[in-house]
Order: sequence, then structure tokens, then C-alpha cells
Amino acid sequence: MSKTKTAGTKPPKQKGLKIPYERRKALYGYGFIALWAIGSIYFFIIPLIKSLIYSLYETKVAEGGLQLTKFGLHNYVDAFRHDQNYSKALVSMLQHTALTTPLILIFSIFIAVILNQKFKGRTFARAVFFLPVIIATGPVISIINGNMSTGGYAGGSEQFSTMFETNLVDQLLNYLGIMNISDSLSEIINTLTTDIFNLVWNSGIQILLFLSALQNIPFSAKEAAQMEGATAWEYFWKITIPYISPMILASLVYTIVDSFVDPSNEVMEIVLRKSSQEWQHGYSAAMAWAYFAIIGIVLAIVVAIVNKFVYYEVD
Amino acid sequence: MATKKEEKQFEKERKAANKARYKKMKKEGLEKYLTPEQIRYNKNQKLVGMVWPIFRFFILFGLSFVILYPLIFMFSTAFRPSDQMSDPSIIWIPKTFTLSNIKDTWDVMRYDSTILNTIRLNLISSCLQVLTCSITGYGFARFKFKGKNLLFAIVILMIIVPPQITTIPLFMQYRYLFPLDLFGVQTDQGLIDSSLTMYLPALFANGIKAGLFIFIFRQFFRGLPKELEDAAYLDGCGPLKTYIKVMVPNAKSSFLTVFLFSIVWYWNDFYVSSSFFINNSENQTVALALKNLDKNLENQLFQNQSVSIRMIIVWLESGCILAIAPLLVMYIFLQRYFIEGVERSGLVG
Repeated sequence: MSKTKTAGTKPPKQKGLKIPYERRKALYGYGFIALWAIGSIYFFIIPLIKSLIYSLYETKVAEGGLQLTKFGLHNYVDAFRHDQNYSKALVSMLQHTALTTPLILIFSIFIAVILNQKFKGRTFARAVFFLPVIIATGPVISIINGNMSTGGYAGGSEQFSTMFETNLVDQLLNYLGIMNISDSLSEIINTLTTDIFNLVWNSGIQILLFLSALQNIPFSAKEAAQMEGATAWEYFWKITIPYISPMILASLVYTIVDSFVDPSNEVMEIVLRKSSQEWQHGYSAAMAWAYFAIIGIVLAIVVAIVNKFVYYEVD
Repeated sequence: MATKKEEKQFEKERKAANKARYKKMKKEGLEKYLTPEQIRYNKNQKLVGMVWPIFRFFILFGLSFVILYPLIFMFSTAFRPSDQMSDPSIIWIPKTFTLSNIKDTWDVMRYDSTILNTIRLNLISSCLQVLTCSITGYGFARFKFKGKNLLFAIVILMIIVPPQITTIPLFMQYRYLFPLDLFGVQTDQGLIDSSLTMYLPALFANGIKAGLFIFIFRQFFRGLPKELEDAAYLDGCGPLKTYIKVMVPNAKSSFLTVFLFSIVWYWNDFYVSSSFFINNSENQTVALALKNLDKNLENQLFQNQSVSIRMIIVWLESGCILAIAPLLVMYIFLQRYFIEGVERSGLVG
């Protein structure tokens, strides 16, 4: 192709322009995620599928990998029908999550609303409330928790445990004679009071999320509410909650996932013990997968329900 | 645009003017200006404004105590001699202070080499992770391609699936160098106990909590105006150059937040590292050293006798202090960025 011929009729073609713009952009898109895609096949997808395969076999550790024998669903059947601890731990885990998740959410919304107000020492208060974020994910928390739960044995922490474990609320409820009216209510109140330590220490991230959502509430909404003479209560329900509702969904998911995958919860402990101490990798994988399936179902139900009440401003 | 200082000044003046007006109105009789409901509303607001701060103070003070309690306890125990632990006359402040607990723990944890190793692992992995996750997040935020939703579902799956499910197959892959073992490559222990088990996933945007970081970056880049990119394209930048020259400088705060969280999570991680590192190896991290601290204490200080928590609590607590001290220092100086970063990083919406 000679230059002089094309110059008169068409603009000169550049290299690579033959692929249409949209296609080219799509290719660039693949380019941007290529690294991750390759990585996730090796570090995520293959291990995931492999563990699913393990869960269907009886495994034996052998030279060069795992020896797989006896294909079938027997690992899953065993987990639910023969294991004494697994289903029990599963049920108590679900109950515990169902109880603490709403408490954590309500608590962190409450704290976030407070921390969003203007007062002296706010920076310090915020710093303190986010402290669990940097500490609670590490092994330090298990030692701290050990101090708290072993209470009397761990020396200096007696005052603390008596402070939170005397069940003053329990006695108060008894005294008022409403203890027997609603067992579930009193159980919730009990969890709130005796477990306040875990509650506070587990809601760092959620407070952070809610605080950032609160700061994104447009000033015009605030102003309009004030003009109309809304009380703080009305303001909270009519303005705050709708605006932070997407974040409620996000932190709900975060809280549930967080409490399910926490290595110190009962089910996870059983799963890890089976694989790391008793070398029953297939059985452990089956337990983990059954557990994961349950998490998935719970999450799907919760998200489907909560999503109906979420208010998105841009629609 | 008024600067922040000027805005504050305006706010002050506005409030003063409001107050003066209200005073004037009161002098002339409020009924002339306001309806009874408005008067009642104002009174209520005033009452709430007076009582609420007191309540707020008590709530915050009490809860802060709950949070700070373990830290105070940590500092109180770490510096007290072990025999004063069972002294009932001591609650918070020991009679004598000692640094010997810290010193013993330092030796047991091999703190100097451990911490250098941790910092090295941490910084390299976090940098790689932030870099690759941001690139991936940008790809998901700004390009349309086939299968994008399916691929993004994998990102979500990465957030939800607990690492415990994939650990054992991953261990096998590292141990036998997975794709290579098909060609007959055999090694003593493969990648196990090498830092590559941390670097490689980070390099491929699959490190600890990578799914979450990709998600954050995607949300952030989606929030940036499209005009930025269009301008860059018109000026003749390719997508990669646009990303480096235009998007990255705009995403600074988001980068910092993710970087800080990445450091925190890598620092605190003991599950992944305990699966791929051999106990007490040269490669151990601070979190791992702390996890094994009670066993090592029994070995080295108590000649393999089994001891109760009560007997080794001073050493455990000093171990805790050693483990979180760098994080705490970082947090005190960079606390602002943790909080503001999340607000600005576009996690919302």
C-alpha cells in the first residue's frame, strides 16, 4: 500500500485500529484482570475443586499426594449421621450467629451515630472504637479472650469477669418477675450483658462502615428534616436508616461471614482438628463443604429478605 | 471555595447571629413569632441538647473502658514480676517493675529476627497485593467484556469462601509444585516454609482478603468521573498509561487505606502462615511466634513441665505487647487515614 494513494482519499490508517474500539477496550479489560484471573485459577479455583473432590473420597496421606479410595457421599452422610459433635456444633453455631448478628448491627449503628456527632474528644473516641479492627483479627485476641474466659484462674482479670458475669440483669429480671414471660427475650438481654466484651470487640469494622455511610448523608436531607421540625427519633428512622440501608446489608453480610469463618468457632475447630491432627482430609473437606453450603443458603436468604428493604438513592 | 477555616468562621458567625435573633425574639415575646408547637419543639431540642451529652459521655466512657481493658491489663501485667501475679494486694500497679518478662519473651520469640522477617514479608506482600488488586479492580470497574459478571462472581466467592477450605489442596500444590510435578519434578519440600507462599498469591492478587480489596478498588474506581479517562484518551494515553498517570493519583487515599488494612491483616494472620510455614522455622512471623508462645515458654523456661495459664501469664502478656507494639505505633500515627480513608474510598454506594 503506497502512502500517496491513500492520503488523498482516506485519513492514514494507524496500526491496530482495525479492531473496533469497543472490542479493543474489552481486550484491555481482559488484560487488566489477566493477572488476577491466572492467579485465581491456580490459588483459588483448582484448590476449591480439589477439596470438593477430596470430600467425595476416603483419603490417605501417601508419597506424592493424597491417595483417594472409595468414591461416594459417605463423608457427608457420616458427618451428619454418625458424628456426635458436628451437627450439634452446627446448630449451636447457627443459633449463636442468629443471636449476635442483630445485636452487633444495632450496637454498631448506635455507636456510629454517636461517633458522628460533634463533641470534644471525638477523635480519641473514634480511635478507641476502631482499635479492635487492628487487634481483633490476630492471635492476640485469643490470648485476651483466654484471660477473660478463664476468669478466676488468670489472675488479675477477676474484677473484669465479676463485672460482666454477675448477671445483674438476670437478677433484676427475676426481681421484677418478668423472667419467665419471655425466655428468648431474656436470653437476648443476657447475651448483650454478659457478652458485651465480644460484642464491642467484634463490631469495629461495622462501626467504620456505618460511620462512613453516615457521613455520606447529604446535608440537604438534614436541613429539610430540620425545617420540617423532625425530632431526633423521627430523623433517625426517616432519614438515617434509609440512607445507610445499603451499608446495613453490607455489614450484615460481613458480620455473618466473619462469624462463620472465624477459626475459633466450634465447627471450624472440628474441621481443622480433623484435617490437621487426625489426617482425615476427605472427611474434613466434606464437613467444610457442608458447612459452606449452609452459610451460602443462610446468606442467600438473608440478602434476599434484607434487599427488599434497602433504599438506593440512585435508581 | 471557602477554605475550611473560613467555613468554620462562617458557621460561628451564623450561630452567633441566630442566638442574637432568638434573644431579641424572646424579649419581645416568643408568641408573636412562633406557633406553640414550634416553641415546644425548641424547648425539647434544648432539653435534649443538655441531657444527651452527659448520657453520651457515660456510654462512650464505659465502652471505651471495655475496649481498653485488655490493653491496660496487658501493660499492667507485662512489667510485673511473676510472683506478684498472685498477690491479692495488687490489682493494677505492681510494687516493682521489671523488664525481665519482656527480655525472656524476646528471647523465646527470637523477636529481633522474627520482627525483621515479619516486616519484610508484610511490606512486600502488601505492596504487591495493593498493586495487583487495584489493577484488577480497575479492570472490573471500567471495562466491558464478556463474562465480566461471572468473573466478578468469583471475586465475591473469594470473599465468602473461608480459607480453611482451600488450604489443604493448596498445601499439596505448594509441596509438590503442582504443575511441575506432572513433568516429574521432585523436591524435598517444594515451596513449603518459603516466603514465596506469601509473595506468589499476593503477586497474583490472591493474597489474604484479596477479594475484599478488589471489591473496594472496584467500588472506588466506579465512583470516579468518566470524564477523567475520556480526557486522557483524547490526549493520546493508552489504557495502561491512563491508569498509571490519571487514575492512580486520584485513588491515593483508597490506596493508602487498602495498604494499611493489608498490612494489618498480614500482620495478624496466623492461619495461612501456620499452614505453610513449619513451626519455629526461620521464616516465622510475629503472629505465629505468639501463637506458639505458650508451648515454647514451657519448653524453654519451665523445662517441659506443663504449666497453667496463670503461671505464664506475665510472659504471654509481654508477648502480646511485643506482637502488637508495631501495629499500635502505626495506628497512633496513621489513625486518621484508617478512618478517613474508608470514608473517602468509596466503599459506600
